[in-house]
Amino acid sequence: MEPISVLIVDDEVEFLDTLVKRLRKRKLNVNGVTEGPAALEFLKKAQVDIVVLDVKIPGMTGLDVLRQIKKNYGLLEVIMLTGHANMEVAIEGMDMGAFDYLTKPIEIDDLVYKIQDAYKRKKLNERADFPQTLDTLGK
Amino acid sequence: MGSCMSFVKKWLEKLRTKRRQNNLTPRDVEALRTAFQTRYHNFKLLLSANNRVLHIVAELEAACKGDSPFGMSFIRANCTAISVDVFRMIKSMDELAPGKYGDLHESFMSIQGRIAEILSERRQAGAGPLIIPLHEVDKTRSDEAGNKMANLGEISNRLGIRVPAGFVISSGAYRKFIDHNDLQVEIDRLIQSSPVEEMDQLLSLSAQIQQKIISAEMPDELRKAISIAYAELESEEGQGVKVSLRSSALGEDSVQTSFAGQYRSELNVSADSLISAYKEIAASKYSLQAIAYRLTRGIRDEDIDMCVGCLSMVNAAAGGVIYSRNPFDARDERIFIHSALGLPKTVVDGSIAADLFVVSRDPVGIVEEHIAQKREKFVCYAEEGVCRLEVVGSEGMEPSILGNTALELARIAIRIEDHYGVAQDVEWALDEKGEIVILQCRPLNQRYGFAEREEEAAEVPPCKMIVSGGLTASPGVGVGRVFVVRRESDVLFFNKGAVLVVKQPLPRWAALLGRASALVAEQGSAAVHLANLAREFCVPAIMGLEGATELLENGRLVTVDADGRRICDGEIEQLLENRERPKCLMDGSPVLEILKRVCEHIVPLHLLEPDAPDFKPSACRTFHDISRFCHERAVVEMFSFGKDHRFSEKASKQLVCGIPMQWWILNLDDGFREDVPGKRVNLDNIVSIPMLALWEGIVAVPWEGPPPVDARGFMSILVEAGSSGALDPALPSPYVARNYFMISKNFCSLSSRFGFHFASVEALVGERANENYASFFFKGGAADYGRRVRRARFVGEILDGFEFHAQIREDGVTARIEGYDEEVMKEKLRILGYLLIHTRQIDMVMYNDSSYVQLEHKLMSDISSAILSRSSTVILQKSLDSSGGKYVL
Repeated sequence: MEPISVLIVDDEVEFLDTLVKRLRKRKLNVNGVTEGPAALEFLKKAQVDIVVLDVKIPGMTGLDVLRQIKKNYGLLEVIMLTGHANMEVAIEGMDMGAFDYLTKPIEIDDLVYKIQDAYKRKKLNERADFPQTLDTLGK
Repeated sequence: MGSCMSFVKKWLEKLRTKRRQNNLTPRDVEALRTAFQTRYHNFKLLLSANNRVLHIVAELEAACKGDSPFGMSFIRANCTAISVDVFRMIKSMDELAPGKYGDLHESFMSIQGRIAEILSERRQAGAGPLIIPLHEVDKTRSDEAGNKMANLGEISNRLGIRVPAGFVISSGAYRKFIDHNDLQVEIDRLIQSSPVEEMDQLLSLSAQIQQKIISAEMPDELRKAISIAYAELESEEGQGVKVSLRSSALGEDSVQTSFAGQYRSELNVSADSLISAYKEIAASKYSLQAIAYRLTRGIRDEDIDMCVGCLSMVNAAAGGVIYSRNPFDARDERIFIHSALGLPKTVVDGSIAADLFVVSRDPVGIVEEHIAQKREKFVCYAEEGVCRLEVVGSEGMEPSILGNTALELARIAIRIEDHYGVAQDVEWALDEKGEIVILQCRPLNQRYGFAEREEEAAEVPPCKMIVSGGLTASPGVGVGRVFVVRRESDVLFFNKGAVLVVKQPLPRWAALLGRASALVAEQGSAAVHLANLAREFCVPAIMGLEGATELLENGRLVTVDADGRRICDGEIEQLLENRERPKCLMDGSPVLEILKRVCEHIVPLHLLEPDAPDFKPSACRTFHDISRFCHERAVVEMFSFGKDHRFSEKASKQLVCGIPMQWWILNLDDGFREDVPGKRVNLDNIVSIPMLALWEGIVAVPWEGPPPVDARGFMSILVEAGSSGALDPALPSPYVARNYFMISKNFCSLSSRFGFHFASVEALVGERANENYASFFFKGGAADYGRRVRRARFVGEILDGFEFHAQIREDGVTARIEGYDEEVMKEKLRILGYLLIHTRQIDMVMYNDSSYVQLEHKLMSDISSAILSRSSTVILQKSLDSSGGKYVL
């Protein structure tokens, strides 16, 4: 089975590097970028299952990046991971389709479980493929 | 997401039509399976979110007791996490039953809005001037000038007591400085992201924030205002006057929170260094000890603006601290004057031995004089800064001040105390002309009952004394392992509960006081900042105990008897008997109060009875209510799928078993060994780990039937059955006649009605031990309220004994256990299964508190013989023998 492909977007370079290394040890295929536009560029070129996204990043806000991702890659799941514990932003993100909103610091195991759950959801949504099924039934 | 859901609705509608026509194709069946799996996935996400909600609720409830320190970041993180999880549950409900529970969103937004309002409350930032001359300051301006400068201005302007000339760089100035650099958001983010329990993380956090403040740009407006104020001071005090810059943070020097020595002061500063010194002091708001202090005392970071007093420097010939009363004994009215040569900083940081004059109040007269040998003193450099000088000749043996000066100091202290109406801690200096200048005054933190304790301490219990002597700086007795802190980095390795041993009682060691069981210092006296804080934290402390760092080796268990000024080897129970309970430092603090207010919208559970008419989304008043509602309804929605879609594969099956009750099973995923085409399933086809464990408990011991009931018990049941709405058989409930299991290999959920009481068990048992849990809910009964409450308490106590976290509320009991590996979880489920069957109808015989002793004996005997593994039984027996009630395995 292909490893889960994860993209982490966080402008704290030290945190990003550490997280990338630790998640790679968990057999995940992980890449990291520090800015919103770079994340969107990366998604154009590479197959990604899950994006772990900070809320405050240079270039554009995390919520803007989330909006773009959900618009262009509807089945891709996004986990918000941030140092900003803000309920309103969290719910806005969830309402826009984020899979979860986590605040730092976080246990690495908990993040891995979240990624696994998000991946299961992505696979189910891919299988459900509702519009196609509906088309088939309509015929 | 909305369009996706409408597709699902339309598609399921088409399937229903096709099914009515009995023409489902294999592709349709596959689509139904996928739809069920999606539904099950949402159900799992809902359960997982529900568990986190319950976990956070428990954590918040525990925090409300105020026993452990926490900051606003803890509250914000938990509020964010619980709102995300509750929202997750609502979204899952939207997907399980599109459009059916839309009102949940409204309830959620209303609750979240109320919480957000509390969290966003801010002290009004100072809108006043950036600079305030000290002659315009009094205690009414503490919001702009900070308590320390407000007190100084007050005694100067109201009492005419001499203080240095100067000005205050206000709270408004601090805000302007921080806002100009957009620092607050970044500071909040750094604090929020740091685990404050770890000392190394706290140290790194402190360094990062301080660095950001020190390297931040000074706004021009503020730079100019400081420059103008300094020029005015120069015109009063002389060209090139040196100044001392003193922290005067909001909240500092108050009655409850002294912050003694937690922030920085800069002495003998030239005009060129004013701005950099100001930034250093502003940054010291985030010194390690200041962060730790605020955390321990429950003070909000955002409530503290750092004001700075800029005062003409007094190059003191002598200086020190006055306590207007005995800090250990409120009844002792004598005045205590600590005095050293040179600058008074040596007295408060404990670096140099100080003289002590004890002065009677009425009439004012010296009653005791302790002259220390003073080997060093601090003086001002001509250019800038201060230096340590060796004291040569006979000067070091002579009193640092004359008797008359001591009497004058005492009179000043009495005036200040009379003005404020509370005992005072006053810092003073003698200028080069020998005139008294007051540098600071604040309320003195006093303790009670020391005199009696000192008398008791005179009786030395048998013990091996390691060292004795020194001065009591904070009364009490503490026990722990010795940890000698010599350098800053040692702080990182200090264990909670250790005895802190230092050479010099520097204010920076205060960061460890929240973790220390006692404090021992080779130098210093009761007047040092660290002693002040030790008294505030109720940490026993001995100061001036020479050789302590050499005599006490790391790791040695000792009892520190601060009352008797001695340190004994090992734990001396006799000494510890009278020790004071550690003070609950969070009590009454702003952070704890905010948590309690926030919890009113999170923790209480109002929706108890699923059959009651007000069990509906619009009745949810807290996050707990919403999670309870969603959990309850999600179970119903999961069961309805097979029925609604007439899809036999995902409809419930009746369990074929040997006991005369109806058990219905819904296989969520992989709970059956093989697919079941018909309406019944055999037990040997079930592979759900938690269900099988629960079942083992259910069938372990045959039920002997209801306990014999006397006439009173029988009448109680008749009356209750006639009056209780919850027992009204006309109420629609999916649980009235049947017991429902939902299972997968690692999960089971049981909803059950046994007679008149309702019970549910939910469990996840798999490889991720930290995700494993079993929860139990039990409510109702046929007997009167008093008996039902007794039964709930009875069941709760039994579960509590088996390490469940049980909570009783009225006639309901909820219990939960989590985080154990598979074998332990199975044993706990067997216990639950047994109790489900054998606590039925026992409410009828719960006449009074002693009525269940015999019943408890029978249940424990059954559990021991038929439920527990052999090893657990042995441990249980021993435990029962020794503890008389707790069955810890």
